[in-house]
Amino acid sequence: MTERFPGYDVLSKRSTPSWNQQTRTVIDARLATNPEAHAFFDSVEWETLKAICARIIPQPADRQHPVPLAAMVDEKITTGATDGYRDARVPPMGEAWRRGLGALDAEAMARHQRSFGQLGAAEADGLLSAAQQGFLTDPAWDGLCAELFFKQRIIPDIVGAYYAHPTAWSEIGFGGPAAPRGYVRTDFDRRDPWEASEARPGREAVALRENQRVGRS
Amino acid sequence: MARRALADLEERLPAPRPTARMFRLPVRHRRQEATSAGRQTNVAAAVLALSVLADSSVEHYRGSFRNPAMVAPLGAAALTLAASLLGAADDRPQRHTGRDAVYALAALVGVVGLGFHAYNIGKRPGRLSWHNLFYGAPVGAPAALALAGVLGRVAEKVREGERVFGLSADRVLAAVSAIGLAGTVGEAGLLHFRGAFQNPAMVLPVAAPPVAAGLLGAMALSPSKPLGRIARLLLRLTAGLGVAGVGFHAFGVHRAMGGWRNWRQNLINGPPLPAPPSFSGLALAGLAALALMRGRDDD
Amino acid sequence: MSDAADQIRATNGRAPDVLRVGGWTTMRQYPDDEEVDFVIVGAGAGGGTLACRLAEHGFSVVALDAGPYWRPLEDFASDERHQSKLYWTDERIVDGEDPLQLGANNSGQSVGGSTVHFAMVSLRFRPEWFKARTKLGYGADWPLDWREMWRYYREVEQTLKISGPITYPWGPKRPRYPYRPHQLNAAAQVLAQGAEATGIKWTTTPLATLSAPRGLAHPCVYRGMCVIGCATNAKQSVLVTWLPRALAAGAEIRDLAMAGRIEHDTRGRATGVRYHRDGLWRFQKARNVVVAGYAIETPRLLLNSASPRFPDGLANSSGLVGKNLMVQSNQAVWGMHEREIRSYKGPPSLALTEHWNYDDAKDFFGGYCFMSQGTLPTVAAGIHAKRGLWGQRLVDEMQRYNHQVGVKMVGECLPQERNRVTLADETDRFGLPVARVTYSYCDNDKRMIEHALAAMRQNLAAAGVGELFDETDDTCHLNGTARMGDNARDSVVDADCRSWDIPNLWVCDGSVFPTCGGVNPSLTIQAIACRTADRIKALAARGEL
Repeated sequence: MTERFPGYDVLSKRSTPSWNQQTRTVIDARLATNPEAHAFFDSVEWETLKAICARIIPQPADRQHPVPLAAMVDEKITTGATDGYRDARVPPMGEAWRRGLGALDAEAMARHQRSFGQLGAAEADGLLSAAQQGFLTDPAWDGLCAELFFKQRIIPDIVGAYYAHPTAWSEIGFGGPAAPRGYVRTDFDRRDPWEASEARPGREAVALRENQRVGRS
Repeated sequence: MARRALADLEERLPAPRPTARMFRLPVRHRRQEATSAGRQTNVAAAVLALSVLADSSVEHYRGSFRNPAMVAPLGAAALTLAASLLGAADDRPQRHTGRDAVYALAALVGVVGLGFHAYNIGKRPGRLSWHNLFYGAPVGAPAALALAGVLGRVAEKVREGERVFGLSADRVLAAVSAIGLAGTVGEAGLLHFRGAFQNPAMVLPVAAPPVAAGLLGAMALSPSKPLGRIARLLLRLTAGLGVAGVGFHAFGVHRAMGGWRNWRQNLINGPPLPAPPSFSGLALAGLAALALMRGRDDD
Repeated sequence: MSDAADQIRATNGRAPDVLRVGGWTTMRQYPDDEEVDFVIVGAGAGGGTLACRLAEHGFSVVALDAGPYWRPLEDFASDERHQSKLYWTDERIVDGEDPLQLGANNSGQSVGGSTVHFAMVSLRFRPEWFKARTKLGYGADWPLDWREMWRYYREVEQTLKISGPITYPWGPKRPRYPYRPHQLNAAAQVLAQGAEATGIKWTTTPLATLSAPRGLAHPCVYRGMCVIGCATNAKQSVLVTWLPRALAAGAEIRDLAMAGRIEHDTRGRATGVRYHRDGLWRFQKARNVVVAGYAIETPRLLLNSASPRFPDGLANSSGLVGKNLMVQSNQAVWGMHEREIRSYKGPPSLALTEHWNYDDAKDFFGGYCFMSQGTLPTVAAGIHAKRGLWGQRLVDEMQRYNHQVGVKMVGECLPQERNRVTLADETDRFGLPVARVTYSYCDNDKRMIEHALAAMRQNLAAAGVGELFDETDDTCHLNGTARMGDNARDSVVDADCRSWDIPNLWVCDGSVFPTCGGVNPSLTIQAIACRTADRIKALAARGEL
């Protein structure tokens, strides 16, 4: 698939009026996340988590700096960034993750005689699908419902991390941070010169040119 | 059609009293006055054209020039501006065919633009609603271009002599300026209403200019000296407001989020800088008309 | 970056000036041992408004809020993840047949409450809803008269300089909104096109965000990040409207002050509030205590204040504290438009239809409105994930983010006693038992949701939106749990928001709603607070306080 927003990099707007200082500070910190940093998970859990992240959000192989999803999940737990509610059937965030990762690893062992991290893409997807549908019942789940773990932890924590990252914003053509400058043109098919341009068939070159100009103040 | 309406109007009006004296004026003097009033009207058309040029540039840039026809008013306004400046510098007592053609083109583009803008409003959900009058393609802008064309045409006629379309030039000019002012008041009123008259100064353009327009209209129908004096005062005030308005609007841009640093947003979504001078342009035309009338009276 | 999140700002005789970067304004302060006229727990839509009006009526007022005192211009980043600092993210347990999702969508922890991140939709109740039982046959009657509420709605609309349509298509005539409506984005035009194609009325949404300058506040710049906090100050939240006035009138606002317990004397009258601030538990003496913590924290505080004299919690002789929790159903229909929508621009809900709030020929009780939507990336991705997309399918679908468009309902769920807030065994960082929130839809709620999903699908399809899918599990706005009524048996507070059991204990927030209506509640909460302040003034004048 060709790029939908060729040449669009939301970070090129960093020094334009679309970004204020507080946003730069926050995003700089996110960009500085060490992809291997993990304070909460042990090394076995870490490998499993990274493997899950790679299947929930597959990133292009040629992406120079993949979004550090696993590190962002670990950070969410270590900073205690709770959601504001917890299903009575699910343990607190960290505990749920620990138990869920262990259980998925156990399921991988039982099914494929390998740890989750060593599974091929299809095998991993198969296990995750089974979890999504609540078909996994290894004793390692220890009362945690696989379906709830998938819906309430895996998905929101990993998907939420990915789409909070500028790399994802560039990928989907989101305008990104917008203060003090917001937007002027809000009608159908209308973009401000500081927004991503979509490469519809036949206008790839135009889109590229427009996207390269996005960061001009 | 407009011509016949005006002629009808004049028939129904009492015969203008000062005409009797007109014939006593030395021809050369009258010519000079006419040329000077014509040139002042050229200046008025120039100011109006400048306002339209700047305004439609900004607005159609906002519209990303997605329809190629959106460059037409820019071209027409630029030509009108150029022609008007040339006209202002030209002290010959004759009309100029080139300028005349440019003015006719401006009027035509303005009228076609009105059609486009009305179509735009009509296809938006809500059709002819307050919301679409606020945010749809503005009706006032192409009307201003057409007005610049009409003013220019009148300017050319004025410098030729006393009669325009069979009517006395000063009164035609007064009428055109009064109608234009009234329209501009309507536009400013609409947009300032959209802005909820949040600043008391926003009342000014809907306070003084309507009175000026009314007095000017009254002068067109039946000129009188005391009326003329008040009209002149208010027209000068209106012309000044047009200039002050740019200042107010510049403050408005500064006042919006991000101020002038965020000019790419605030120049477009903030109060329009180019709009207020159209008041000045029309007031100048009105003053030219009054000057013509007075010139006749004084002799 | 700001330290407001963990350092108190409103102290030493000053509070943040929310309209200036680094600004301060003077604030009157009261010592803990001075018995103030009113201590108010919560400075959001209910408490913040009440604090302002009571102070302006000349009472001495201290308002406690668990959240930080932000200056939006300097403290708010353009970032969903970071701005979750505005939500009440402390743990709460959810259960029931339809466990709620709390936090972002329905709870705030800031001075100004959830109005700091609300979507600004400011609608009046349909008059009949104040007599839902008598006139429409469901729920309960309010002890309030709609004509009186109509006057208070006006007061709030003026205070918030609501930007609204010139004429509102439904209900009795209302005065013109103080500010004009905003320009519509494409998402709003889709709703409008759909409504016109299906022959129902629509309108530009009355919104509490400026369409023109106001004082030091800037008009909206259509940055679209309303629900993560407005860094422009265009949003007319309680933080930037009522609270500056409250300070000017002599109220004290204490940020990062978590109330733990209301104390009472041997006669059973409230004596003040025990609260945690700056590392210490403190006690503010007061002649009157107002609880305004919204539908979860309000019952939690009343229940946590149980004593030997009131073993079931304060103001709970009816047994109704915590019961009749009402959410508003918030289902949506989404689809893809051939043209670019880019719904991340502009306030999220610029157009709406209240058609089904005013049409009574339906096979269920209550009503709903639905409105256009704007979604930021993580929310948009969450919507796809909820319908089971993950992996490459999710990544591919999100590539069409700029074409995604949808409409979302705000539906009136019926009060049920089984839907309730109780105390869990777990405790929070202050050692206070956390809330357990139990929720299940009833059949009527489900019928309404089905009806609304069909109506919304029809709307989008008529506007040419394809690939439609439903989002079936979202809810918004919490109401009930301390309902007002005509007698002590069937309600917790009276029409003046005064508890039946303890005459100097009041509740003033969305908890007092007997029914919740099919529109967003913030305007009604503020209107009730304005009314309560006027009633308190009148009662005080008669020596009945």
